[in-house]
Amino acid sequence: MSDIRRLDPRRTYQLNPGGIRRIVLGDVATVDSGAPTFRQAQQSKQKPFRVRTATDRWLMAVAHANRGKLDSHARQAIAAAAILAAPSEGVVAIVLGELTEDAASTGADHVIVLPDLDAAAYQPERVLAAVRDQIEMYNAKHVFIPDRIGSDGDLGRRLIVAMRAPSATGVVELNAKSVSIAWSRGSERGVAALPRIVMLEAGAVDANLPFAGAAERVESASRPGADDNKAAFRDLGIESTGGKQIPLEEADFVVAAGNGVFNIATFKALASALGATVGASRVAVDDGRFARDQQVGASGKTVQATAYIAIGISGAVQHLQGIKECRHVIAVNRDVSAPIVKRADLTIIGDAEEVMQAVLAQVKATVDLRNKTGGA
Amino acid sequence: MSKTSFTVAVLVSVGRNPVSGAGRACRGDAVAMALGRKIAGDALRVVHAGVPYDAALNDYLAHGAGTVEAVACGSPDDIVPVLATALENVDLILTGSRTEYGNGSGLVPYALAAALDRSVIANVLDAGVDGNDVRITQFLPKGQRRLIAGHLPAILSVHPRAPFHLTYAHARRQSGRIVPVTVTPAAANNFGSTAPDWVISPQTHQPIPLKADVKMTAHERLQSAIAQEAKGGLVVIEGSCVDKAQVMVAYLRDNQLIDF
Repeated sequence: MSDIRRLDPRRTYQLNPGGIRRIVLGDVATVDSGAPTFRQAQQSKQKPFRVRTATDRWLMAVAHANRGKLDSHARQAIAAAAILAAPSEGVVAIVLGELTEDAASTGADHVIVLPDLDAAAYQPERVLAAVRDQIEMYNAKHVFIPDRIGSDGDLGRRLIVAMRAPSATGVVELNAKSVSIAWSRGSERGVAALPRIVMLEAGAVDANLPFAGAAERVESASRPGADDNKAAFRDLGIESTGGKQIPLEEADFVVAAGNGVFNIATFKALASALGATVGASRVAVDDGRFARDQQVGASGKTVQATAYIAIGISGAVQHLQGIKECRHVIAVNRDVSAPIVKRADLTIIGDAEEVMQAVLAQVKATVDLRNKTGGA
Repeated sequence: MSKTSFTVAVLVSVGRNPVSGAGRACRGDAVAMALGRKIAGDALRVVHAGVPYDAALNDYLAHGAGTVEAVACGSPDDIVPVLATALENVDLILTGSRTEYGNGSGLVPYALAAALDRSVIANVLDAGVDGNDVRITQFLPKGQRRLIAGHLPAILSVHPRAPFHLTYAHARRQSGRIVPVTVTPAAANNFGSTAPDWVISPQTHQPIPLKADVKMTAHERLQSAIAQEAKGGLVVIEGSCVDKAQVMVAYLRDNQLIDF
């Protein structure tokens, strides 16, 4: 035995504010057992605010919220404003529709939520007037809008024409000075100076920011005008085509079955109770339980659903590739170590048939209750 | 069907084969023309603004147009004023959503609507006209469709996935005609100021996403290189099936994925 003092490399440690592990010699007893672990400290580390001086100019991003949340395309538009903003410029995000999440991570300094202007109702003139008011009030130097089919693409083009502002649509690449678009559908590139209204294609901006915004909720000074009947066209409501008719690639809610699903009747009943489109993994399709065009994955279809429920699917890489763009993935599986568990936002460990029956019973009970109270 | 008290026109452009670059009928415009023929039959006016004659316009004849009016138009900035003059008295104007050649901004229907002071509706899948009333099915993402009702006059830009089957008849291509038309635009309808001066160059690289400057310390760089992203969400192992089902339904409800 040498008399060199030995240190236990795994001895208790302290975390400094930067999340770095420090072993404090001779101070073991003071380590708080309730202190966050290294991983927790890394995750909860607050991002610093963007450097800002007194703001006299503003960059603006306008996007619709989807189910109370900003999706990645909307976040990219706000991130573009936050990245290109100089320290003397503020970033204001106009969110159309209700917003239930915190917008600090998007990089916006001011957030204006206009809950009654969401995409569910057809009111283009009203939305246009409200957004135009905000742009003029903030005197926004640049306005960034996601260029996507539906709400935002339509609003942006109406804005461009109404304001007669220099504009670029379908922007695939941008920097502080210029924008590029795909010319003639991508065979050539068109480059121009950064205009006032910029409509961004998905993927033109990396929405991961090293800083956060103040995300101060600002009440809109001008209330959007009441829904006047002046509009030439009126909304007769949204018609959902029903889970069966929606093609898998377009579906918003997909319930998919894999090798763990044996009772197809229960599975289909569940899908129709939830109003979801039916998908399947390769094994279930190869077995003949589902049609080939219902296959999700690398050799099948890529789905972009907001909700994806994978029942009895272990989640091979090829399958996970097909659900890469799904927002909420729920897995029902027997095996807690299946790869889908790592991907899923919620995993239920249990027998597929029993869980399906229980969910089905609960959905039916809720719907029955609603019908009763609705009828009374 | 062709007994109409209203007039319908469709705007067509010269398309571009994405592989060979050869001229062809723009698919979106051909779909819009199919919708126009459903509404107005042979009374549909097919209008092209640009060069007086382009061989690609013959494709529209084959797709069913009897006559294509080719309105001479000097520069792309003149398209909207020229069309506004040419289509002043047309009740229903149909367009595709984006051209295949050039900028493809999809702004023409909006600019034309502003010049003519009309309503514009985008992403139309289907439309029917009854007297003065228009009923429209509009495309929304995620498998939803919206029904809209209104009245003429209107401008509809048609979604490229509108469910119309395009037929091609060589005999019609031979019998149809392309008629050059000259229009003097009214100066008031000037709409050309919004397009920046594009410099066109060959496509040399994939677009590079805009990224924020990240100043990281050495320790942070090391961490980002070795640290694994936290993966996986909530895992429910314990409890009866009913409890598990409750967790699942609660998750769906919390995220507004179901509306009951």
